[in-house]
Amino acid sequence: MSVAGRRYAPVEMELDGEHVRAFAQAIGADPAAGVPPTYAAVYALFATAGQLFGDAEAAVDFTHLLHSEQEFTWESHPEVGDVVTSTGVVEEDSERRGLRFITFATEVSRSGRALGRSTMIDVIRQ
Amino acid sequence: MTAKKTGQKTGQKTGEPAAPEPWTWQVTREQIAAYAEASGDRNPIHLDDAFAQSVGLPGVIAHGMLGMAQLANFVVAWAGDHRRLRLLRCRFSGMVRPGDVITFSGRVSSEVPGLLDLEVSAQNQRGEKVLSRARALISA
Repeated sequence: MSVAGRRYAPVEMELDGEHVRAFAQAIGADPAAGVPPTYAAVYALFATAGQLFGDAEAAVDFTHLLHSEQEFTWESHPEVGDVVTSTGVVEEDSERRGLRFITFATEVSRSGRALGRSTMIDVIRQ
Repeated sequence: MTAKKTGQKTGQKTGEPAAPEPWTWQVTREQIAAYAEASGDRNPIHLDDAFAQSVGLPGVIAHGMLGMAQLANFVVAWAGDHRRLRLLRCRFSGMVRPGDVITFSGRVSSEVPGLLDLEVSAQNQRGEKVLSRARALISA
């Protein structure tokens, strides 16, 4: 079933220095430069996408899922030690030509202020 | 694997912003495995050839997000500080496999006051696009 409009419970995460540095090293970024922009995959996207993929009503067939597009925007960038809160929202869940399209947005805030946003578009073969 | 910081932010005479120099990413199995560990995305299509083949892939493929991380490295090497990045976007349009060499190149498509709009192309050694609609907005 379509779960368009569904909003999941906020997830809080502290940005751990050791984990951030390991991530920076893995992608080939400078571990001394702070939190790499695409660490948003961890604190925004992966922090919340599990709620959608684990949602029995959403019934997302993970084995036929293709991560098609990704966008991150930042009002400001987090630093190591910050606590960020991420909230996942299903913006679109529709079928076209035998494919299911899901747009999953994650709103990220720090100390109650908007920090940034992740938008993932998935295509699932039916 | 760090990008060279050779790009200049603005041209000397014309006022046109300089484009970043092309930069290549050598894709290795080791880096894909390291990314799986560091990101927590341990989907076996990135780690196990036999599994990847069982779902119709030629073998393990890189995470789309690892490619996007390289897009960010390319942009940040030019911008100087990742904190200037306001937007990063791409479509994952082609598979990236161990042994591939991905070339990133970019051009500034517009410069509204205070904001650079960088369009990026990412192609493999066969000239196939692996990312499309790749774009970064960088604040002054």
